[in-house]
Amino acid sequence: MIVPYTHVILLAALLFWAGMICTVLRRNLIMLLLGLEIMLNAAAVAFVGAGLHLQQIEGQAVALFILAVAAAEVSVGLALIVCIYRQTGTLDPECIESDACELE
Amino acid sequence: MPGASMISESWLWAGWAAAAAPFAAFGLILFLLRKRPGAAAAVSLAAVAISMVCALYLLICCVDTEVPLRSAVTWMISGDTVISAGIHLDGLSLLMLAVVCGICLLVQVYSLGYMAGDPGFARYFAFMSLFAGAMIFLVLAPTVVQLYIFWELVGLSSYLLIGFWFEKFSASRAGKKAFVMTRLGDVAFLAGLLLLLVRGGVMDIAALNSGAAGLSSGMITVSAVLIFGGVIGKSAQFPLMTWLPDAMEGPTPVSALLHSATMVAAGVFLVARLFPFFSQSDAAMVFLLAVGTVSMLMSATMAMVSRDIKQVWAYSTISQLGFMLMALAAGGYFAGVFHLVTHAGFKALLFLCAGMLIHALHSNDMFAVGQGGARGLKIPMLCMAVGAAALAGIWPFSGFASKEAVLATLANLENPAWLIAGLAGVFLTAYYTFRLVFILVFPAGQGQTRAKDPARGVGYAYNAMAWPVLLLAFATLVAGFLAAPVRHWLAVGGPAHEAVHGPAWLAPLSLGLVFAAIALAWAEFGRKNASRSGFVERVPVVAQLFARRWYLDDIWGWAVSRLLDRGAAEACRQSDNRVIDGFVHSLAGAAVASGRMLARGHRVMIQARLMIMFAVVFGLTCIMLIWG
Repeated sequence: MIVPYTHVILLAALLFWAGMICTVLRRNLIMLLLGLEIMLNAAAVAFVGAGLHLQQIEGQAVALFILAVAAAEVSVGLALIVCIYRQTGTLDPECIESDACELE
Repeated sequence: MPGASMISESWLWAGWAAAAAPFAAFGLILFLLRKRPGAAAAVSLAAVAISMVCALYLLICCVDTEVPLRSAVTWMISGDTVISAGIHLDGLSLLMLAVVCGICLLVQVYSLGYMAGDPGFARYFAFMSLFAGAMIFLVLAPTVVQLYIFWELVGLSSYLLIGFWFEKFSASRAGKKAFVMTRLGDVAFLAGLLLLLVRGGVMDIAALNSGAAGLSSGMITVSAVLIFGGVIGKSAQFPLMTWLPDAMEGPTPVSALLHSATMVAAGVFLVARLFPFFSQSDAAMVFLLAVGTVSMLMSATMAMVSRDIKQVWAYSTISQLGFMLMALAAGGYFAGVFHLVTHAGFKALLFLCAGMLIHALHSNDMFAVGQGGARGLKIPMLCMAVGAAALAGIWPFSGFASKEAVLATLANLENPAWLIAGLAGVFLTAYYTFRLVFILVFPAGQGQTRAKDPARGVGYAYNAMAWPVLLLAFATLVAGFLAAPVRHWLAVGGPAHEAVHGPAWLAPLSLGLVFAAIALAWAEFGRKNASRSGFVERVPVVAQLFARRWYLDDIWGWAVSRLLDRGAAEACRQSDNRVIDGFVHSLAGAAVASGRMLARGHRVMIQARLMIMFAVVFGLTCIMLIWG
């Protein structure tokens, strides 16, 4: 393995951190979903790296599963977001089903 | 003795057959023969004929037995209390059995003519069978509980029959009125029974009569007065009397049955059945005497102004039942029961004759019937005269003998007021009876009697109605001479009693009163230039009072609307709205409010909570890395 294992794990941690920040701080449901995707992919990177490091093929198999789950999650999540937008007219997670934003 | 036991076994079989046959007929008609009126009538008549044969057989056989026969199975055991169900044969129950079966049979034959062509013919006979069966089981009951059950069943079937033409509003209302008013008395009856059950633990009639319950005298008085409540309801006594005059909305044969042998007779029968028990309490008997006296005089005055034939007979039924209760309360066991028996005969006769007239002339109003040509119908008019003479108490008709027995009993009381009230009742009875007869026979406009209908007075329906009427008229003629055998029968298994003889002047005095009343009625309604209005009607206030039934209906209506509708029902409504609904509403409101509060927690601040979650997971990971 050319890239050391530590670097791979570090990359995964950075990606996860970035996704987490995105999920927690952005005030847009689409960006929130994007953050979730990034976190999933960080996990996938960690799996692939660990699979290479330990010489076990299951790591890559799980990465493929994660891709499938991510695809399904995105489709469902986007559909929900479209519905939410149609009903409430907003994508701000703090405003949905609460009167907080109508005061402005 | 095997022979004797076999004989008594056959008697018990006959008793069971008499009781079960009408019930079997009721089931058969209701489930199989509702669409076949002819077969239904045949089954019903056959059943009551079987009962009649069994009753006559038993009545003839049982004269010689000393001990009452009974066949009973245990029906209910609760602790020390054993309640049995079955049949109990003694003089009183067999005598009543024969009367009930005989009247039922004659009334059902009569109904073949009266009800011919009615769309509910099969249903009518089913209810008649139920009525007969319930009454037969009632008179044969060995325990008060069984008596009470069939007592209610008699009430139910009379409700069904009074409201038989339920499409007529007044009929269905009269049925309801009869049901509710008798039920009002039955509540007291049930309370009395429960008191007996709780305090004495004995429900057996023989045990109650022999004083085996060991009750204190105060308890006996209370329970007896409560049971009299049931009698007051059933026998239409003051103050629950007004259902009976309305009950004539049913078919006339039903009225005949109701007024003579089945429904109202049950109340008097109950008093006779528990006579030794009741006579332990003097206070209860005085109460009963007062109720009987008030009812007798009150309803006699109501009958004096009524224009409706059946209503006059209905009032006279109340009056005569009051007379019977007076006799029983005064200690005249034989007199009361004998008057019950003779009254059953002549009252059925009077109603059946009235039914024939109504059927032929299509009116209940006595003036209209008289002008319509009632005197042209010889059989009903003659038989009605016989019945009226018996009701008024003229020798040799049956009413004379029983009425003299009652008056003799009253004459032996210390207080002469009761006898004076009884004699006043005799005078009024004769007056209103012959008022009706004279109005029918000598209508006002004699010249304008309608041309005779050629079809009237012949045909199947007329014949089916005429034969029972003739038989009853014959029975009314001879029943007065059966006092001695009736006395003998009643001694079988009944309470010991001695023949009561009134003073010698009593019979001439009462007969004199009767003839004076008839003369008064003749002067007012019979002779050629009579005014055709009674002496009561010259005082409009009093006439109004009598015609409105002493305002009893108004008082009841006021009580119902004030106490039930506005009082109890309104209180229930308020408690429903405020208490029950309020509790449920506040429960639901609390659930909704707490749901709102919980919803606030998960509907907003998604990201804040995500952050907390991440922080916690991070913290846990750190902890595991450091200490794990």
